[in-house]
Amino acid sequence: MPKVTIAQNILAVNENIAQDIHQSLTARGIRALNVMSSPGAGKTTLLERTIERLRGQLTIGVIEGDVETSADAERIEAAGAETVQINTRGACHLEAHMIRDALTQIELADIDLLVIENIGNLVCPAAWELGEDARIVVVSTTEGDDKPAKYPQMFAISQVMVVNKLDLLPYVDYDLHKVKRQALAINPNLRIFEVSCRTGEGLDAWCDWLIAFTRGA
Amino acid sequence: MHELAIAQSIFEAVETRATECKAIRVKGVRLKIGEASGIVADSLAFCFEMLTSLDPMLAGAHLLVDAVPHRARCRHCDREFAIANYIAQCPACQEWSTDIVSGTELQILEMEYETA
Repeated sequence: MPKVTIAQNILAVNENIAQDIHQSLTARGIRALNVMSSPGAGKTTLLERTIERLRGQLTIGVIEGDVETSADAERIEAAGAETVQINTRGACHLEAHMIRDALTQIELADIDLLVIENIGNLVCPAAWELGEDARIVVVSTTEGDDKPAKYPQMFAISQVMVVNKLDLLPYVDYDLHKVKRQALAINPNLRIFEVSCRTGEGLDAWCDWLIAFTRGA
Repeated sequence: MHELAIAQSIFEAVETRATECKAIRVKGVRLKIGEASGIVADSLAFCFEMLTSLDPMLAGAHLLVDAVPHRARCRHCDREFAIANYIAQCPACQEWSTDIVSGTELQILEMEYETA
C-alpha cells in the first residue's frame, strides 16, 4: 500500500498568516504585542493606563478581542487610542486571520505600537501566533500564586509577565516570590513587572520598557 | 486543546493530498505530536474518527501518533535532558540557560492509501 510523505505543520496556515502580518508591520516600523491573561486580570485597565501615560510619546493602535460586546473597545477609544473590536462569538482565542482582517480597519500610517488584547484565557491563546514581536502575560494578586505551574505553556511562550493589583496584596494570600519563582523556573528569560493599575505603582517601569521596546531597543 | 479543530485541519490536508495521489481510500495517517504541544493524542484520535466516519475516502483511517518527548539542551554544559513540568533546569550543572530540542511539534508526517 503506497505511502506519501506529507511533512506539514498542522498549524502551518496560522503560522504563515502570522508571519505575513509580522513582516508587513515590521516593514512599516510598527512593533506588535499580544497581551494575554485569564479574564479579569486587568489587561484592558493596563492598556487604558498605558495609553494615558504615553500620550504624546507613542501612538498606540489596539485590536480588542472578546467573545462578545464592544465594551473594551469603547474603554480604549475613550482612553485615546484607535481601536478595532473583534467579537469571536464563541472562539476562545484570537487567530492570525482575524488580526489580518482587523488590520484593514486601522490607519497604520500613524501607529508606532500595535497592541492586541487577546481573549481572557490562559490556555488556548498560547498556541496561536498573531504576528506579534512579544507576548505579555498578565496575572493578578487575586488569582492565586500557582498559575505559572498550572498553565506552563502560556508562561513558556511569553517574554513579559505583569503582576497586577499589587494594591490588594494586604487582603489576599498571595506569595509574590512564589509566583515569580514558578514563572522564572519555566521561563528564565521572562521580564517581570509588578504593578497596580489602581494606584499607579510600577507603571513607570512598565511604560519605560514599552517605549524602549517600541523604539526597537 | 482544540483537538476538533486540529482534526479538521488534518482531515483537510489529508483529503487534498489523497485527491492529488488519486487515492480511493486512506488507510492511515502518521502524526508527530510533541509532549508540550498542548494536544492530547486520544482526544485527537476520537475527533478524527468522528469527522471521518461518513467520508467515503477517509472513513476508518487510523491516526498513528509518534509522541515526541519534551527535551532541552543546556547552553552551559551542552547536556541534553528530559524536561518535566516545563522546568528546564539542567540536571547536571543546575544552570537555567537552555534551548528546547523537542516536544512542541504538531506535524502530519505521512499518509498510507489505496489506489484503484
